[in-house]
Amino acid sequence: MELMPDLIRLESISRTFGAVVALDGVTLSLPPGRIGVLGPNGAGKSTLLKLLMGLLPPTGGSGFVLDQPLGGDNDTAANWRLRQLIGFMPEADALVPGLTGVEYVALAGELYGMSRRQAQRRAHEVLSYLELEEARYRRVEQYSAGMKQRVKLAQALVHDPPVLLLDEPTSGLDPAGRDAMLRLVGELGTDHGKSVLLSTHLLADVQAVCERVVIIAGGKVRGVGEVHELLAVRADRFKLRVQGEADGFRAQLTARGVAVLGEQNGEWQIRVPAGWANAEFFRLAEAHAVTVRSLRRDDETLEEVFLKSVG
Amino acid sequence: MPTPTEAHLRYRPWRGTLRPPAYAAVAIARSSLKLLFRRKLFWALYGLALLLFFFYFYCLFLIVWLKQQFAERTMTILGGQVRLSEFIDRLDGLGLTGSAYTFANFFWIEGYIAMIVLALAGAVLVGNDFHHGSLAYYLSKPIGRRHYVLGKVLGVGGFVNLMTTVPAVVLFLQAGLLNDWKTWYFDHVRLLLGSLGYGAVLTVVLGLLLVATAVVVRRTVPLVMIWTAVFVLTRIVGELLAEVFESPWWRLLDLWNDLYLIGLWLLGAEFVPSRIGGPQPPVWAAGCVAVGVCVGSLLLLRRRIRAVEVVS
Repeated sequence: MELMPDLIRLESISRTFGAVVALDGVTLSLPPGRIGVLGPNGAGKSTLLKLLMGLLPPTGGSGFVLDQPLGGDNDTAANWRLRQLIGFMPEADALVPGLTGVEYVALAGELYGMSRRQAQRRAHEVLSYLELEEARYRRVEQYSAGMKQRVKLAQALVHDPPVLLLDEPTSGLDPAGRDAMLRLVGELGTDHGKSVLLSTHLLADVQAVCERVVIIAGGKVRGVGEVHELLAVRADRFKLRVQGEADGFRAQLTARGVAVLGEQNGEWQIRVPAGWANAEFFRLAEAHAVTVRSLRRDDETLEEVFLKSVG
Repeated sequence: MPTPTEAHLRYRPWRGTLRPPAYAAVAIARSSLKLLFRRKLFWALYGLALLLFFFYFYCLFLIVWLKQQFAERTMTILGGQVRLSEFIDRLDGLGLTGSAYTFANFFWIEGYIAMIVLALAGAVLVGNDFHHGSLAYYLSKPIGRRHYVLGKVLGVGGFVNLMTTVPAVVLFLQAGLLNDWKTWYFDHVRLLLGSLGYGAVLTVVLGLLLVATAVVVRRTVPLVMIWTAVFVLTRIVGELLAEVFESPWWRLLDLWNDLYLIGLWLLGAEFVPSRIGGPQPPVWAAGCVAVGVCVGSLLLLRRRIRAVEVVS
């Protein structure tokens, strides 16, 4: 049985710009799948994307994307082969005003190396798949924000690449458009076998689409793992509101390892230890003659886990 | 949005062979021409260029017709008898008889409209790629900077040649048909090759210069100002300095004049000062200026068109 190559394999990859170290000895190995790249501004995400697309040579180390080596100057045949594997959706508008949707996508197909006829046929197919068939003969500058994002996804998808590299795909979208885009990206990964590398600062996007996450800060990888693992290590928190003389109840909770993190409008935010059973709240409340008015989960978000990771 | 099942049915994978990046330059050129021809202004300017072509077309026809109609007639000029056909031959000074000057002057005059078109086209073809971030769209594909520049230059060249070289070739065919075509085409093949060469020189020099200036300036109004400066101001300054210092070398400042001299040389025309606006610098010097403009433009493009801008 043939082994699937790693999606990304980086060994001590570094990139400096003068005195600025953008990436500092990054070593990373990721299997194909849906991967989120998270990091604050200036973390090195953009530099990593440029390296992965062969637009920027590393100053040190080596790397592969689906067994295609990274490196060298921008204008080399090896880098062109690398970019044929990748469909890139930029964050910027990146539209060509004056072209219709179908012309824009077909031109992308020809730029990837498809023949004119194949590119046109494929452009129609992809635009239909992305629900843009009725707008395909309209000029791209007349599209709404959601349509612009979808036509940008269409041009990345036109040559059916195994890897999609999406830079902030939900940028500028309203909640409904954002949900639709995330659903599409998720489907491309789950139903059509695309590997998706999602660069974003929105953790909710990663949570919605990705299986794995890479956290970058200060040019270094601060964490790599599956999203559900990251969510599993987050603290269990609750918001609790009680009625009655609660000092004894609170002291008893603290003695059992429950930390009261804060109090707002008579509601406590608490963190419970591992293995805590919620029935304990009610048993202790009864023992101290207080009434539990409300109890609801308030788990640590992925964002808070991320912030802890990057310090 | 389609349900996952519907999407699965509608999304079809593509399996085919991708071609080398050189083909991408042709696609870029084709889309550039499409962008130009979608604007009514360019159709208007192209119509004006065609009017000039028709002027030459009918003048060529008219002169041959006059020569045939009045071949044996004479007229009295300053007391002397002159054959009308000889008088008509002297109209060659106007450059309307199918000589090398006919083609050189045709290129020169069409060039004025070409320059207006290019000044307006810069923002459409190149400036917008920077202004709207479309450079990321192009350079994230498996092509290099040279394919992008080549595609844009071919697009610009396509429009320039539609206004200059293509009508010039039609004039060549017409001139042959108006004469003894069996020998005329063979005897005057230099005119055809010269016209093609002149068109190629215009394509390369003007294309590179346009892309380079549009990369720096990007907007239409400043581009028009720069092109006006390059092709009008430099001519005035060049002529002024040539007169003041009594040296034709100053005319090298005028790029359009330099290209004209190269065109005359390619067409095999004699350099008669009275017919080419006075004493001119040697053609090799004009060639050096054209090469210098190309090299300067390429260096600028190498510096300004950077793939690293793809991910901001």
